[in-house]
Amino acid sequence: MRFSSRFYFALSLVLLVLVFVIVGPLIWSVDPNASIGGLFDPPQGVGSLILGTDNEGQSVIANLANGARTSLLVGLIAGIVATTIGLTIGLIAGYAGGLTEEILMGMTNIALAIPSIVVVILLSVALPQRNMVTLALIIGITAWPWTARAVRAQATSVRTREHIEVAKMSGAGFWSILGWDVLPYLLSYVVMAFVLQVSGAILTESSLSMLGLGPSNIVSIGMMLNWALAWGAVRVGAWWAFIPPTVLLSLIAFSLLLLQSSLDEVFNPRLRRGKKIKPVAIPAGQATRQEDYISPHSDGAAVGASTLLSAEAALGNDNAGAFADTPVPQERGEH
Amino acid sequence: MNQPIPAFRSSRRGFLGLAAAATAGLALSACGGDTTTPGTDTSGGAAKSIRTGAAAEAFYIAGMQWAAPTNFNPLNGAPAFPNAADQPELIYEHLLRWNMLNNKLEPGLGKELKAVDDYTWEIPLQDGTKWNDGSELTADDAVFTFTLAKDAAVTYSTVWLYLDDVVAKDARTVVFTLKKDPYNPLFVANTIARTPILPKAYWSKLTNETLISDTNLAPIGSGPFKVGKYDQTQIVLTRDDAYWGKTVYGTPPMASFIHPIFKGNQDGDLKLETGDIDVSQQFTAQIWKMWEKGKPVSTWLKEKPYHIPGNPITLVINLSKKGLDNVGVRKALAYAINYPDIASKAISDYSSTVNASLILPEGSEAPFYDQAAVDASGWKYDSAKAIDILENELKCTKGSDGIYSLPDGTRLGPWKIVTPTGWTDWNTSCEIVAKSAQAVGIDLSTNFPQAPTLIAARNVGDFDIVHFGYSAVSYATPWARFRDALDDRGVAAIGKDAFWNWGRFADPAVPALLDAAAAEKDEAAAKAKYQQLDEIFRKNIPCIPLMYRPYQFFQHNDGTWTNFPTKENAYAPPTFGGQGILWVFKVKRVGS
Repeated sequence: MRFSSRFYFALSLVLLVLVFVIVGPLIWSVDPNASIGGLFDPPQGVGSLILGTDNEGQSVIANLANGARTSLLVGLIAGIVATTIGLTIGLIAGYAGGLTEEILMGMTNIALAIPSIVVVILLSVALPQRNMVTLALIIGITAWPWTARAVRAQATSVRTREHIEVAKMSGAGFWSILGWDVLPYLLSYVVMAFVLQVSGAILTESSLSMLGLGPSNIVSIGMMLNWALAWGAVRVGAWWAFIPPTVLLSLIAFSLLLLQSSLDEVFNPRLRRGKKIKPVAIPAGQATRQEDYISPHSDGAAVGASTLLSAEAALGNDNAGAFADTPVPQERGEH
Repeated sequence: MNQPIPAFRSSRRGFLGLAAAATAGLALSACGGDTTTPGTDTSGGAAKSIRTGAAAEAFYIAGMQWAAPTNFNPLNGAPAFPNAADQPELIYEHLLRWNMLNNKLEPGLGKELKAVDDYTWEIPLQDGTKWNDGSELTADDAVFTFTLAKDAAVTYSTVWLYLDDVVAKDARTVVFTLKKDPYNPLFVANTIARTPILPKAYWSKLTNETLISDTNLAPIGSGPFKVGKYDQTQIVLTRDDAYWGKTVYGTPPMASFIHPIFKGNQDGDLKLETGDIDVSQQFTAQIWKMWEKGKPVSTWLKEKPYHIPGNPITLVINLSKKGLDNVGVRKALAYAINYPDIASKAISDYSSTVNASLILPEGSEAPFYDQAAVDASGWKYDSAKAIDILENELKCTKGSDGIYSLPDGTRLGPWKIVTPTGWTDWNTSCEIVAKSAQAVGIDLSTNFPQAPTLIAARNVGDFDIVHFGYSAVSYATPWARFRDALDDRGVAAIGKDAFWNWGRFADPAVPALLDAAAAEKDEAAAKAKYQQLDEIFRKNIPCIPLMYRPYQFFQHNDGTWTNFPTKENAYAPPTFGGQGILWVFKVKRVGS
């Protein structure tokens, strides 16, 4: 596998943030909750006052380092939760097909139709105590639907491949096939979906915190912005209270998105920049082995044929299986 | 797959990826833009700080109305501006007006409070008092206003605990007869100064229930203004040119009095800075930055603490909660809190560091305050002492999480300290308290619900610690504040609404002391009673004062209107209610 320099750039941005989060609290070791100065003291010198103080006289840099850690942890937990739920539902729906698929996808579509930010706000208001983990869980359990749908489409395309039949003939059970024969084909996609979920969750946490619904008793970037806003940092010109958290938040979200899109290129040859991939005539059945995406816009005539097939497979059209040269169209409902 | 891949060549996916990142960035910045600069869209030109034309004829006020008006009924719990308590007497006027600067009751609709004897007070009305529909305002209206509170449950109904009778001696004289037992002239006088006089012609048609629920959308008052129009964005009061008090008080110079309705403090703060608001009762952090920028903004004082202290904000502790019922724990908490930080940060230097007393050290309560007693038996910020109390007095043991437990196993927390969301200075004060407590090993965290939810929970005692104010300074303080904090008479049990003493403190010595203090005419003797009450407070710590909030924030921009009262020009108190009405008549147009 070759990584583009964009990937390395994205990776170094992510690492930079991680280094800041891990090493930052050691360098600026002052307690982020300790009052070390006045109300909005401007940046001065080095050390804990390099970015001045916030409305409680706390070190902005120490809050930033600790707050970024909270944000990343929330993102990570929420990302894991959302991806796990989405992956499970998507895999089962996509592979099982039939009524199971209809029910699971029906659920997913309903969940998709509800604006998740509203649900998140209502849940956070209803919670008696908001801490980092509950907040991450709330974000996670409202963010899974699009992952479920995308994974289900992928799983549907894998379902019709020969190796599944081979696995079935050798007596593998439903869960075993799901875990060993379907999931590995989606892993690259899942990784990218996960990165997107993490970045989305970090932004959601910040929005919630900015609305004053963030975790209590813990520093987070969103809470920093919330207090800066409440104390009129803009009006009094205390730029150090709101610019650094905004920049750091943008940096985190940007680096994760960039990482995702560069990973996309690595995993999906057709998206690679540089030399255009020459259309190669591939037998239709094998073509589906490529890591296709649902409804990719065809890059070439021959590739177009395979995409069409996988797209049809994704639609759950049984006939697509027959076209794809598979020996026996699988029966729905036997699982 | 093994072809070299040059980086950063354009491709659709790459473009989409970048576009997504850019959109996220834009969305983020748009979001920031929306929330950080509200209100600039309607300011109508940030360049002009002095209004001209029709806008200069009007007077703009902020900080008293936060939602669309639903009623103008002063008997209702939440009437619209200007008919709520502590708001300017622009529509309904009171018989007397309290002046915070000299602690005297000065003329309003009435000329003076004439004490015939200890139990009989006469208030003669000013000459020519009229309602703004042209009819006469007589002593009958005043008698009706007070009498209705006997049966209907209105905010001033409690005055009848101490009041025997209110009658009209003649058409222009109201006579109040006070009860001998309990005797409380302070409370009665304060109620007279806080009660808007209503026209009998309109209100006598209502029943006890509709008295409170009536929307009164076209109020007939006696004041210098009438309700012009109102919607969800503003309330416009227009001057009544037939105002009865022209000969007594003069004519307000502004043609209209406008209260724009904002969603949050930021809008009002920005407009005060630009001169689109003339006077603001909002908490505006670091107000001095405005005049440092050259804006014509001012407060009572141009140096610390900028305002007159008037409203001690306290932590009210629920004494029915296990752990918090232990006075040692409350004492440790009292020592743990960083009071200087609260004064300099949470309230933006608008308060001096608080003392362990329920009496304000300055202003009208100063004669009753005793610094030596505070130093002898009070507390101050000393976290080492707090830990010492926990470890040596209470024999607490420290858990692995750094939180102490009492010898009987009761962990000190988790307890929540609650206050309404969006009350910036209070929220920050709670944060500082929670962090102070955590630092010594008491597990406190903050929670900021919506104000109505919180007030309901506060009244029924459904809280651990609530951050709120007992009586702000008035003619009846410090008596009223001691009643609020210590008196258990008339306080319902946990689960039912209590309107003071939310922590349900009870001490057998308090009622007698309170009654004696209220009846005391001699200042030195009254001080002795208040000091005994203050000692009971310091010994039992049912609540912990945190800061002296100003009674009201009085911040003005002199760009369009000038001659607001300041310490150098102290012709009126820097308040909105009571005698604060004086400045409404005395402000001047710039250049006129």
